[in-house]
Amino acid sequence: MGDDVKEMKIRGVPISGGVAIGKPYFFTLSESHFPEYAIREHDIDIEVSRFRKAVDLSRKDVKRLQKQLEKEGVHEAAAVLETHLQMLQDTLLTTDVEAGIRQGLKNAESVFCTVVQRCEKKFMSLPDLFFRERVKDVKDVARRVLSHLCATATDRMPELPQDAVVVAYELPTSEAAEASTSRVKGFLTAIGGATSHAAIVAKAKGIPCITEVDLATLEKCRDGHVVIDGGRGEIILNPTPGTLRRYRKLCREQEDYIEDLTKDKDLKAETQDGYRVMLSANVETVADTSLMHRYGSDGVGLFRSEYVLALRDQFPSEEEQYTLYRTLVERMQGLPIVMRAFDVGGDKPGRLQTTLDGDERRFGERAIRLLLQEPEIFRAQIRAMLRASRHGDVRILLPMIACPQEFQEAKALIDDVYQSLKKNHEAPTKVPPIGCMIEVPSAAVLADALAEQADFFSIGTNDLVQYTLAQDRSEQSSRRYSYGHPAILRLIHVVVTAAVAKGIPVTVCGEMAADPLFTPFLVGIGVQGFSVAVPHLPVLRRRIRMLKFVDAVAVADRALQLSDEESVRSFLSSDPEG
Amino acid sequence: MKLIKKVQVKNRLGLHTRPATVIVQLLQNSKSDVSFTCRRETVNARSLLSILMLAARQNSKITITIEGQDDDVSQTMNNLVNAFEMNFGE
Repeated sequence: MGDDVKEMKIRGVPISGGVAIGKPYFFTLSESHFPEYAIREHDIDIEVSRFRKAVDLSRKDVKRLQKQLEKEGVHEAAAVLETHLQMLQDTLLTTDVEAGIRQGLKNAESVFCTVVQRCEKKFMSLPDLFFRERVKDVKDVARRVLSHLCATATDRMPELPQDAVVVAYELPTSEAAEASTSRVKGFLTAIGGATSHAAIVAKAKGIPCITEVDLATLEKCRDGHVVIDGGRGEIILNPTPGTLRRYRKLCREQEDYIEDLTKDKDLKAETQDGYRVMLSANVETVADTSLMHRYGSDGVGLFRSEYVLALRDQFPSEEEQYTLYRTLVERMQGLPIVMRAFDVGGDKPGRLQTTLDGDERRFGERAIRLLLQEPEIFRAQIRAMLRASRHGDVRILLPMIACPQEFQEAKALIDDVYQSLKKNHEAPTKVPPIGCMIEVPSAAVLADALAEQADFFSIGTNDLVQYTLAQDRSEQSSRRYSYGHPAILRLIHVVVTAAVAKGIPVTVCGEMAADPLFTPFLVGIGVQGFSVAVPHLPVLRRRIRMLKFVDAVAVADRALQLSDEESVRSFLSSDPEG
Repeated sequence: MKLIKKVQVKNRLGLHTRPATVIVQLLQNSKSDVSFTCRRETVNARSLLSILMLAARQNSKITITIEGQDDDVSQTMNNLVNAFEMNFGE
C-alpha cells in the first residue's frame, strides 16, 4: 500500500448488519458487451442447439437454487424463483429466439439480447410500478442465460474468490440467493432498497449489506481490503494494518461474545429478586426463527407480516399466507408467536402499495385503517392466521390503533371470520388473544379504555416517538429526540399502568426495548415483555439477570420526575446497577 | 373455427404474475392459437411475459381470440372465460 493511499471511511444505507473484512470484487452485470456475428446456414442447427442448452442449464440452475434455499432454511425468494422458471419457458425467450436465429442467421447471443432489450424497454414504459418491476426478473433471467451462452462475460456467484465483498450497481435476487456465506463476506451496491428481494435474501443469510454506496470511490481502492460494518452502513477503504488488526479482533470478539452468551440460552430472563420478564424476538422471515432458537427466547413478540408482501409482486392469497404462517408456527417448537396484521400504506384508494417505502407510511390510510377499508384483504389474512393458529400458540396484533372504536371494529371482523370458519370446521377451538399496538399517542392516552378490550398491549416505541415528538423516524442522523425523552417515558408509564390495572400483559418492541440503558426503567414501571431483534436477545437477557426489581422501581420513579432527555440519559448512565 | 369473446379483468391488481401464470398453465392443454387484445395491442396468450407487458389493470376489457379445431376452441374459450369470472382463484 502506497503512502499516498490514505485510509478513508465512506457511508451508505445499512441494509443487513454484521462486521466483515474482505476484498472487493466488482461483479459484472452488463449485458451490453455480447458478440454479434452472422452464422452460416449449415451451422443453424448447432447454434439453436447451443441456445437450447443454455436455457436448459438456466432452468437447472434455478431448480437447484430452489432446493439449496430450502435446505438453508431460506424461504424467501421462492416465489420469485418460480416466476423465473416460468419465464424460462416463455415462448418469447425460447421458441421465438430460435426462430430469430434461423431467420436472421445471427448468433444466439445477439438475437436473445435484442428480444430481451425489447422486453425491458416495454416493461420500463409501463405506468404501473407493479408491472414495471417485472423488468428486474427479465434482467435476472437474461443474465443467467447469457452467462451460459458466453461463459467469460459475466460473473457467477459460486465462482467468486474467498472473502469477496461483492460490489455491484444492483444485486439481482438470484445472485443474492446463490451467495454462500463462507465465500461472500458482504454486498455493496449503488441502488437497492431494504425491502428489495435481494436485500431480504441477504438478511436472511446473515450477509452484511450496504446500499447507496459511491461505487466510483470504491473503484479507486479496488486492490486492498475493505472493512464493512453493515449495521452502521460504514465502509473503511485502504484500512491501515492497525485498523485491520482492530477489526479482525472485533470480528473474533463478536463471535466469541455471542457464543458465550448463547450458552445462557436456557436461562430465564429473570431479575435477581425473581421478577420474570418474557424475552421475545422480532422476526420477519422463517430463517429468523432458527437463529432465535439458537439464542434462546420465550417466543416471537412481533412477526411483521408485511414482509410477506415485499417478497411478492402482488398480494398473496389466503392459501399462500396460510402456508407461510403455518410454517412459521410449526417452527416455533411450541413457543407463542404474535402475528401483526399488515402494516402497510396506500396512497391511492383501492390500489394497495405493497412496497415498504418509509416516507409514505407515516400518515393517512395505512395499517388498520387500510385493512378496515379493504375488508377482503383483512379477512383473507385473518382467515389464514386463524387457520394457522390450529397448529400452535398464535396471538394476533392490530397495528396503528388510534382509538377503542377502531379496535372494536377490527375485533368484530375477526369474530365474524371466526364464525364463518367454524361453520366449515376450519376454526381453532377459540379465537386467539387479540392485542393492540400502542404507537399512536391517542391510543396511549386512551389506554385504560383500550385495556378493557384488548388481550394484550405491544408498545411500538419507534412510531410512538415519531408521532409524539413530531419527528420523522427515517431521518436517522438528524434526530433531535429519542425514546429517552420524558414525554415518551411518561406516556409509556400511562400505558403500562392502565394495562396492569386491567391485568393484561404489556410488551415493548422497538429500539427502546433493545437498549440496555433503559432496561431498568422499563422493568421498574412494570413492563412484562421485551421483543427485540434476535441478535439482541443474549445481551438483554444478561442485563435483566443483573437487575434487582426493587432497584429498577426506584430508577423508574426517579426517571419519571426528570424533565429533559439529557438529564434522563445522564441519570440512567450513572445508575450504580448499570 | 374462430371464436372471439370480450371479458373483463376483475382482479384488484389486474393481470399480474399469478393470473398470468394461471392462464399460461391453463392453455398448456389447448392446441388452439390464443391471443389477447387489450387497448389495441394483441399478444400471444401463451407467453407469460407478453401477458404481463399488456399491463392490464382491474376493469380492463380483454378480447380473447381463439382459432383451431372446433371442440378444442370451445373448450378453451369456456375454460378461459371461467377463469376470468372466478378472478383466477383470488
